[in-house]
Amino acid sequence: MNTTLDINRLGLLLKRYFIENKQRELTFWGITIVVFTLMHLAGPQEKSISVEMFLYISGFIFAARTFKIFNYTPGGMHYLLIPATHLEKLTTAILLSIFYYFIMILITYSLGTILGTTIGNFFFGSNNPITFALFRSWSDTYAISYAPMNLLNKFIFFAGVQSVFILGSIYFKGNAIGKTFLSITALSILLVLIELFLLKITFGTYHLDGQMINLSINSEQGFLSWLSIASEIFAYALIPFFWIVSYFRLKEKQV
Amino acid sequence: MVNVQNVTFSYTRRTELLSNLSLKLEAGRIHGLLGKNGEGKSTLLKLISGLDFPKAGSIDTLGFNPIKRNPAMLQEIFFLPEELPQLTSSIENYEKVYGPFYPNFDSKLFNSYLKEFDIDNKKSMLNKLSHGQKKKVFIAFGLATNTKLLLMDEPTNGLDIPSKGQFRRMVASAIDENRCLIISTHQVHDLDSLIDSITVMEKHEIVFNQPIEEITKKLFFRVADRNEKSEGVIYSEDSLRGLYQICKNTTGEESKLDIELLFNAILTEKNKIVKLF
Repeated sequence: MNTTLDINRLGLLLKRYFIENKQRELTFWGITIVVFTLMHLAGPQEKSISVEMFLYISGFIFAARTFKIFNYTPGGMHYLLIPATHLEKLTTAILLSIFYYFIMILITYSLGTILGTTIGNFFFGSNNPITFALFRSWSDTYAISYAPMNLLNKFIFFAGVQSVFILGSIYFKGNAIGKTFLSITALSILLVLIELFLLKITFGTYHLDGQMINLSINSEQGFLSWLSIASEIFAYALIPFFWIVSYFRLKEKQV
Repeated sequence: MVNVQNVTFSYTRRTELLSNLSLKLEAGRIHGLLGKNGEGKSTLLKLISGLDFPKAGSIDTLGFNPIKRNPAMLQEIFFLPEELPQLTSSIENYEKVYGPFYPNFDSKLFNSYLKEFDIDNKKSMLNKLSHGQKKKVFIAFGLATNTKLLLMDEPTNGLDIPSKGQFRRMVASAIDENRCLIISTHQVHDLDSLIDSITVMEKHEIVFNQPIEEITKKLFFRVADRNEKSEGVIYSEDSLRGLYQICKNTTGEESKLDIELLFNAILTEKNKIVKLF
């Protein structure tokens, strides 16, 4: 018997999710199509930001509910006793909260865009083209120079946010959304304080008034590209890091 | 089948719930786990199934360390908790979802148990059923999984009187030499003529763990007249019918075990009872 990752058991866990949440899933994705349709009724104005806000906010609410079952002891007992490994249970959570959710948003967004634009054209006598702003990168969309954010980047950012909230849902018992937010805020404040401390001990001041920009421009190109690659690797590595922490948290979970 | 060695467990740092507890449970038996509220019966079942981890000592469940929650172990365990989970699926879907996790799950058996419990509509939603009906579904499912180890925490709580009898019949027919059932309960009358061994917990320890045949060999249970002079009485309780007594069995004559009387006797005359075994 495979005691690490068995595809059959993984399939059973996914089947379990869809059977137990069939009604909720149908309702939620139905509402999502309606929301996206309404968004696109009025015309081809830029909707990418609103759609992304919807993706991230609804996404982390979904992710924060991943291990909600532990809020209720009998539910937690039932879940832990399902004959599957912790890795299979966590993989199911990742597949659902990150991949499935993102794909479903893309599908419902596409359907909503097509439906909204078509219905809008029909009722308002307009001739707006069907455009999928979410699939375009930010730098194409806006004149202001955001860092290029194509669909893959958006997915990776989404995966990062979801991973944090998956961890939050297993780490905190009750009100995982609020507690995860508080933790992120506390961590951010701590990082800012560390940054200020480093500035103080390195440059003797808490603010550089643009000197850092000059410092970067004057630096060697090699160092800059190395720094950019390193920060990208760090950002990518954070996602599996949260998964690993969630895995050990699940493994050590007692009810 | 289950071997608990010197296990210590506590939910808080200050108070130990289980202290240096050891217990060995064999297959082919129905073990009754008795004890007052808060003695740690449910906790012991959780430790055996890997839901809680001991602070010290070791547990062997079906040859596995339960804290690893290996699926090979989990598919041979069914735990019926006192409080049941709230699941938003029908009985039919519950079977469809969870049955395949247990390799020896028998759908026909599940249906026959449901029928015996008078649950005809498998399309009924579990969260819409009464506590008793939901319990019947879980009991039926648990027995139909054919797992080697069945853990039941207060299984008869919420069952109506006819269902308690049906429960006893089903359990008695479902247990064979390869299966082990541990029933934790306060309602000792519900276990009458069902259990094969009695384990009593008191002050967070196992104070008594004996098979029924050994108990009836060493102890004699009887109802005596109030005026009757009796010798060798270890424990006695007054009732409308007379004096319920436990005596040392000196003749080898078998008597009908009164679990409640024995339980009360162990709590009040522990040393006298334990010394006999």
